[in-house]
Amino acid sequence: MVKDEKATAADKGKGKAVDTPAKDAAAKDKKGDKKDKKDEATEELSEEDQQLKSDLEMLVQRLQEDKPELYKPSLDQIRNFIRTSTSSMTAVPKPLKFLRPHYEALTALYEKWPAGENKTEFADILSVLGMTYSDEDRLDSLKYRLLAPTSDPGAWGHEYVRHLALEIGTDNARRAKEGEATPNKELLNLALSLVPFFLKHNAEADAADLLFELDSIELLPPYLDENTYARVCLYMVSIVPLLSFPEDVKTLKTAHTIYRTFNKLAQAITLAIRLNDVELIKDDFEAAGDDIALKKQLAFLVARQRVNIECEDEENAECFNNTRLSEHFLALAKELNILDPKTPEDIYKSHLENTRGPGASVDSAKQNLANSFVNSFANAGFTSDKLMLTDDDSNSWVYKNKDAGMLSATASIGMIHQWNVDEGLAAIDRFMNVSENHIKAGAALAVGMVNSGVRSESDPALALLNDDQWLGSKVPSIRRSAIMGLGLAYAGSQREDLRELLVPIIVDFSFELEISAMAAIALGLIFVGSGDGDSAEAMLSAIVGRDDASQLKNKWSIFLSLGLALLYVGRQEDADATLEVLKAAPEPIGTATGVLVEACSYAGTGNVVRYQSMLWHCNKHIDTSDDDQKGDDLYQSYAVLGMAIISMGEDIGAEMALRAFGHLMHYGEPNIRKTVPLAMGLLNASNPQMKVYDTLSRYSHDNDIDVAINAIFAMGLVGAGSNNARLAQLLRQLASYYHRDPNALFMVRIAQGMLHMGKGTLNVNPFHTDRSVMSTVSVASLLTVCVSLLDARSFILDAHHYLLYFIVPAMHPRFLITLDEDMKPLPVSVRVGQAVDVVGQAGRPRTITGWQTHNTPVLLSYGERAELEDEEYIALSHTLEGLVVLKKNPKWQGKDN
Amino acid sequence: MGQGQSGMGGGPGGEGGKDAKDQKKDKPKYEPPPPTTRVGRKKKRLAGGPDAANKLPTVTPNARCKLKLLRMDRIKDHLKMEEVFVNNQENLRQSKVEKGSAEQRQEEERGRVDDMRGSPMGVGTLEEMIDDDHAIVSSTTGPEYYVSIMSFVDKDLLEPGCSVLLHHKTVSIVGVLTDDSDPLISVMKLEKAPTESYADIGGLEQQIQEVRESVELPLLHPELYEEMGVKPPKGVILYGSPGTGKTLLAKAVANQTSATFLRIVGSELIQKYLGDGPRLCRQIFQVAAEHAPSIVFIDEIDAIGTKRYDSTSGGEREVQRTMLELLNQLDGFDDRGDVKVIMATNKIETLDPALIRPGRIDRKILFENPDQNTKRKIFALHTSKMSLNSDVDLEEFINQKDDLSGADIKAICTEAGLLALRERRMRVQMEDFRSARERVLKTKTEGEPEGLYL
Repeated sequence: MVKDEKATAADKGKGKAVDTPAKDAAAKDKKGDKKDKKDEATEELSEEDQQLKSDLEMLVQRLQEDKPELYKPSLDQIRNFIRTSTSSMTAVPKPLKFLRPHYEALTALYEKWPAGENKTEFADILSVLGMTYSDEDRLDSLKYRLLAPTSDPGAWGHEYVRHLALEIGTDNARRAKEGEATPNKELLNLALSLVPFFLKHNAEADAADLLFELDSIELLPPYLDENTYARVCLYMVSIVPLLSFPEDVKTLKTAHTIYRTFNKLAQAITLAIRLNDVELIKDDFEAAGDDIALKKQLAFLVARQRVNIECEDEENAECFNNTRLSEHFLALAKELNILDPKTPEDIYKSHLENTRGPGASVDSAKQNLANSFVNSFANAGFTSDKLMLTDDDSNSWVYKNKDAGMLSATASIGMIHQWNVDEGLAAIDRFMNVSENHIKAGAALAVGMVNSGVRSESDPALALLNDDQWLGSKVPSIRRSAIMGLGLAYAGSQREDLRELLVPIIVDFSFELEISAMAAIALGLIFVGSGDGDSAEAMLSAIVGRDDASQLKNKWSIFLSLGLALLYVGRQEDADATLEVLKAAPEPIGTATGVLVEACSYAGTGNVVRYQSMLWHCNKHIDTSDDDQKGDDLYQSYAVLGMAIISMGEDIGAEMALRAFGHLMHYGEPNIRKTVPLAMGLLNASNPQMKVYDTLSRYSHDNDIDVAINAIFAMGLVGAGSNNARLAQLLRQLASYYHRDPNALFMVRIAQGMLHMGKGTLNVNPFHTDRSVMSTVSVASLLTVCVSLLDARSFILDAHHYLLYFIVPAMHPRFLITLDEDMKPLPVSVRVGQAVDVVGQAGRPRTITGWQTHNTPVLLSYGERAELEDEEYIALSHTLEGLVVLKKNPKWQGKDN
Repeated sequence: MGQGQSGMGGGPGGEGGKDAKDQKKDKPKYEPPPPTTRVGRKKKRLAGGPDAANKLPTVTPNARCKLKLLRMDRIKDHLKMEEVFVNNQENLRQSKVEKGSAEQRQEEERGRVDDMRGSPMGVGTLEEMIDDDHAIVSSTTGPEYYVSIMSFVDKDLLEPGCSVLLHHKTVSIVGVLTDDSDPLISVMKLEKAPTESYADIGGLEQQIQEVRESVELPLLHPELYEEMGVKPPKGVILYGSPGTGKTLLAKAVANQTSATFLRIVGSELIQKYLGDGPRLCRQIFQVAAEHAPSIVFIDEIDAIGTKRYDSTSGGEREVQRTMLELLNQLDGFDDRGDVKVIMATNKIETLDPALIRPGRIDRKILFENPDQNTKRKIFALHTSKMSLNSDVDLEEFINQKDDLSGADIKAICTEAGLLALRERRMRVQMEDFRSARERVLKTKTEGEPEGLYL
């Protein structure tokens, strides 16, 4: 730290000793004899110290005398003493120490002096002295600093400025407490005069902190320059999850302004996405001006979040719409040499399982169903497989399934062709016109999945499904699938024409509840995180307005609640009105929905108060032995999920939540216990941490089979797309352990499929762009799957296994592909390593650790970061993730230089 | 996997690491003991640290700033919530079960366990774990036994090589002795702080400052170093001719600090049996890490730290191996964390260069014989409690150009006092000091043929 700028190198070596200025040599001689006597009395003072002490005493004496003409030189001398003193880090500077006893006298003296230049200067010095002397609540430094407004505070050294900052903060807090308007104008001005000093001296955090204390962070931008803005912004952005509303938004906006000022559009647009502010995003995008490559890069960033932005320019629209996602993904697959389709057996590796004899009791229909899922998960997006799309005899596998199994089997084509609209629709086409209803339903779902996350002008999903044969079909399963397909295809798009289509289904009570509920979910997915009033109204009326309240005890009713909750993902206080309305709703669905809406509205904020209320909900032990009370405890399950949703995205909260889950598991009733594994999975999606899957693996042997099944699924979720070998081994062991239990075995297979999702190229973690932005669509999709697993026996393990496909919108390739300005793949060397949190560290620490060098395209796991190896190219995005456009570095001199 | 489950038979076991963390599993009722856990396999490296799952998140950055405060606050909030929740649940449970009975039952159970353990118990060493319930132990008398492990033994604590309690008849394991560090080491831990403080050191300001900067300050204010972007020094070596106050300074550090202070003398590390020295060395640092923050002070390091050379003597080689262990402990593969090392020697030139290279010992602090000023201070220090006659003028000795060390000055003062005592005087006179100086200087130069060949 910078102690004192004026100190010379020689001073530093001297340690505690203080150089006596030469001009005081005379005074030294005069006092020589007196000093020696004193030396014996107070031994611990060295000669120089003694000298200094008496000098200072004399100066103080002089100030007290009645000779105004001597004041100025005396003050000057004292100041000189203080400024030139250096000290070790452990001790108080000597002059301050010696002046301490006189402090009271000096303050009294100050009051007596007439106003004038001298008095101001006196205040200046008193302010410094106050630093060592005053008690916490006296705030003398600040008091005298305010009385001596002219000087440059930085001149007194770093420690003083810091102390002043502390007192400003304390004073401001005191004033706020006493009801004064804060921040006080004077304080603020003083604070602002300190800010440049902090920024200049590598203390960006202090600068930001000071303004945070005064609640005026928005005043920071003008003080920043090229060298400091990056660190300040990083600090501000990482403090955001710990702030409460509305400071967090204010901070993000300020950071956004700063980035815009320094023309860092990629960073700015990321924050705009985080703010969920479409106008701001558009504005940032337009700010790129004529830079086509940059525009495309920004479009890629926006597209990852699935914000729906209409764009005139065709090329940019292509980027916004993710149109070429499949093309890039296949290119990656080719590069990694994983184009060969995998069969479910390749995933199970049952030869490694330790089975004793064949599982005689295995339900083969269930097994086949599991195979369909695993096949689709493993080959997701690869457009080829060995089960469904075999050349000629293509229908055979579908017909090996029964009833709803056919639905899921057919739908799996959609996942295999994910993002690849043209080929996908062609493959589905032959299933669309068969007579079997389940297959038709499956085809409808497949259409939705193919279009998930990509948009095109022709709008094939809507065009195909909005038809009497599908959406208007009399067959419930077809109708349901068509609705679900729409939800998947347009998740996050916020399209009004879809709302007009779906709202009537929700509010029309003549429909069966399951259709309405599915429509609610679909609408929730489409308008996720929008807080859309009309949709909310429709769903509320479906919940509150239903005459026959008993219908709400139907198992499907949970999806009505969920649909409503999804609208408010991340909206924070916008959901309050809805929560009020829900208080009037029939019980138990009213309470349950309320909890879910509250949880969703604070998703990813880490808000402690909300988290606490969720935990509080779990306190009660509810007796549900009576049939009437069934469902009364549902809100507790939601609360557990809510804990995960709220704390995700804030590392400390997430880790602490894991601890809380341990307690819940210990004390909770079965309804809570079976939700805990799901919540853990949700919290760590695609992030296989040893401690998490170890715990889950323990839960997977729980005596309560519901807990076990959910834990197994959670293991799949935690490892989704990671190919984690240890998890794979654990799951294989589970497969042999549960080889007699068809339900559990089914879930093990699903988990295995998820683990190898896209052959290890996909992930489902809702956080992207260096874990800074939460994708509301992903959260919604994961939450939907988790909610459907709350009652696994009546949904996933029953005939509604297709609900698992709700995970589709969350699936996203975890690649890093570098493109040149013409959008052609451009292989470059990148270092990939574990990300390090560098906030507030001195110097320029490495942002990654333990890296390896690869050629793009590469896969990035959770918590990994990449950086370009050399400076031949400049990345247009600040985070190397997903699709990144590179620009040639004009200053590049070749490798040798 | 599958512990405590029936029908699992001898399923494929063998993943380490999934041990422990089982505390969550036991049911509210508590009737059977929690399902057995995997046996700890030397995972106790974190020594006394909380269980991995229960560990609190680490808070970065280290610099003092609002971000750190908020993050710590966040942890505090969460812990509070946990506390409230757990208390609530415990109260609920308590209100369900009638009061008192739970405690009573616990008491009863404890008594029963004690009965089962029997008395006296033998002490043995765990050689090998066979499965969850069986192990091979050896007793000090020699034979090895294949014995069962009682169900109430905390299996997390069992690890090969630890001391266990054995039933006197069946020799089954009935308990674990947790503290497995050598008793020698607990002796080295300083229980009572020495009385010498920094005020008792005359002069040596610069040395004090350097020691404080590199030893005390990193333990007290790590954030200062973080802000600067440097790693604090790991250790210092104090060197200089005899009697210049090296040990005194170490004592003052021990007096001043609240950190654990371990002190050893280099020669203590030389042990009778092969391998004992390095083991002791390892254990010292292990204990230090367990009780971190701590300071290890090794006096007379030249006893083991001399330069390596080809030696045929087994004893010599053993000493060298001990030093190699020390090298590893100082800057080896494992991070030692908050352990600072102070070494002292008066023959720095004989030390192995590897021992004092930067990274192991970052600061070498020279203790020189005192200059005039310091001499004055030392004299003042030692004479402050003596009753001096008014004719005593210490300046005379101070101005003489004798090569006096701090210890010599102390000797002069003591000698002068003794001389005065001999003559039954109540005050020490100048004359006493003069003859004391003569005596001290004489003994000091004795053996050196002064000026014989000149």
